Amino acid sequence: MIAGFQEPTRGKVLIDGQDMEGVPANNRPTNMVFQSYAIFPHLNVGNNVAYGLRGKAPKAEIDQRVAEALEMVELGGLQDRGASELSGGQRQRVALARALIMRPKVLLLDEPLSALDKKLREQMQFEMRNLQQSLGITFVMVTHDQYEAMTMSDRIGVMFNGQLKQVDTPTTLYARPCDQQVANFIGEMNILPAQLLGESDDTLSIDAAAFGRMDIERNPNVATSARNMNIGIRPEQLEIAVDRPEDYPSTVQGTVSNVAFYGENIHYHIQVAGAEKPISVSVPNYFHTVDFKRGDAVWLGLQAASVIDLGTNSE
Amino acid sequence: MIFRSEASRGYTLSAPATAYVGFLVAAPLVILIAYSFWTQTYVTLDKTPTLKNYSDAFADPLVRHLMLRSIWIAGAVTIVTVALAYPIAYFIAMKAQKKTIWLLLITIPFWSSYLLRVFAWKLILGFNGVMNSALLALGLINEPLDFLLYNEFAVVLTLAHAWAPFAILPIYVSLQKIDPSLLEAATDLGNSPIQRFMRVTLPLTIPGIIAACLIIFIPTVGDYVTPALVGGSDGKMIANLIQVQFGAANNWPLGATLSLIAMLSVGFVAIVFVMSATRLGRRIR
Repeated sequence: MIAGFQEPTRGKVLIDGQDMEGVPANNRPTNMVFQSYAIFPHLNVGNNVAYGLRGKAPKAEIDQRVAEALEMVELGGLQDRGASELSGGQRQRVALARALIMRPKVLLLDEPLSALDKKLREQMQFEMRNLQQSLGITFVMVTHDQYEAMTMSDRIGVMFNGQLKQVDTPTTLYARPCDQQVANFIGEMNILPAQLLGESDDTLSIDAAAFGRMDIERNPNVATSARNMNIGIRPEQLEIAVDRPEDYPSTVQGTVSNVAFYGENIHYHIQVAGAEKPISVSVPNYFHTVDFKRGDAVWLGLQAASVIDLGTNSE
Repeated sequence: MIFRSEASRGYTLSAPATAYVGFLVAAPLVILIAYSFWTQTYVTLDKTPTLKNYSDAFADPLVRHLMLRSIWIAGAVTIVTVALAYPIAYFIAMKAQKKTIWLLLITIPFWSSYLLRVFAWKLILGFNGVMNSALLALGLINEPLDFLLYNEFAVVLTLAHAWAPFAILPIYVSLQKIDPSLLEAATDLGNSPIQRFMRVTLPLTIPGIIAACLIIFIPTVGDYVTPALVGGSDGKMIANLIQVQFGAANNWPLGATLSLIAMLSVGFVAIVFVMSATRLGRRIR
């Protein structure tokens, strides 16, 4: 819709204040990096990158801009390489150069990194971020990878079933999601039922079942007024220990039901009395970390500040 | 055990086809070449090798004329057929909803014999044919048109109709293979639909167009049924002359020589065509 391949049924697309209604895709100040990259197979790298400029600028200028664009994506000097001789990462870079050479106001990226392997993907994430910062062009990127979205964006729009649920900075999205769905989608989240006991302007007094009573911060992105509500706790915010952690106001005892080793982190699933689902706890893999095993009895510790208000339970 | 290696498996699998081609193409070709160096002496064959057949053929203005006309007619058929087939293939590949039905419809002419289809054209184009009767009844003409049948035009028309599916299918396949995101990318980079067609669609279908051209050009140069039936005296082609040598004229060596000359001419034209079309395709950027 932003690129102009589909007209919106309602609402408007404004680019730089200009209404794009009726402006065909070929006349919009947008360019796109396609999921498949759509590299023209009959053209070499140089001609692919130059595609949009042909007939619009003198040949010498085109050649110079192609060279610059390729330099920018670190493919300098590969103009004569055939389209079929490129690796996945190179294709991605050619597609990027081909779009950027047009100097669009908005660059659209349709899952640009989904076809790359993990290492290359992470490298490209940083490169594209740097490129975006230095060019100052708006990038609109579609991705299914929450981590990719968080590392690369200034603002993230979370969409479910064609509806934009929340648009916010990655940190706000992570700390103050607007509902359970978003909370669950962005990172991992333990969602627990709680009872609302009292409320003031920015705090809520709640009874968080096994974790007991506490006062938590009100989440301005959700509506909380009914008695039955949900709270969220990020797995990394929980303390796990053999003995009762003294410095945590709220503690609960449980049993390790599952262990997953992620390398940099270890995830434990803790079955707590009174909770339906096991609670996820993530611990950084320090060399001195105590290794818990399945079936071990453990204590979980929680600070009220780590509890996220997820609003009234609608069910 | 037979399939010990990839190579031997390949040979084994292609052996029946190789034998078939060997007996039915290579062997007759060798015989043909042999004949072209012999001489017909009334009822017997003089097997002394000679180049006389070739020098006779090259010296004969009729041979040159028929050869050039055959290439010209086949070229015209190819251009007309491919030019008409491309939009049809484009429609089926890009716009049509029920592709299978359209492809089936295209093959319908094959459900009747080729001879019947040629005769149908005779009925349509003839002096008292469908076309003339209709035009007369509508009062558009006062007397039947006589330039419809028994000339080059009739041959081109009949052949173009007969060969249309052979042009549509390869072009359809090459259009079908184009990734739609390439077309979106061209639009995204500022191309109008016409520019997009010239710069992306057309160059990517060049292999299909070349295939279609060769499939039509090569057999039509040697076609002799169509010119014999609808060509009249103006529409005769090289194959008709060759047929006469093997039949009424009873000069098999000259017939063999003409066949080989025709074959080489077609090969030459085809190679020049493929090379220039490929080069032209590369120049589009």
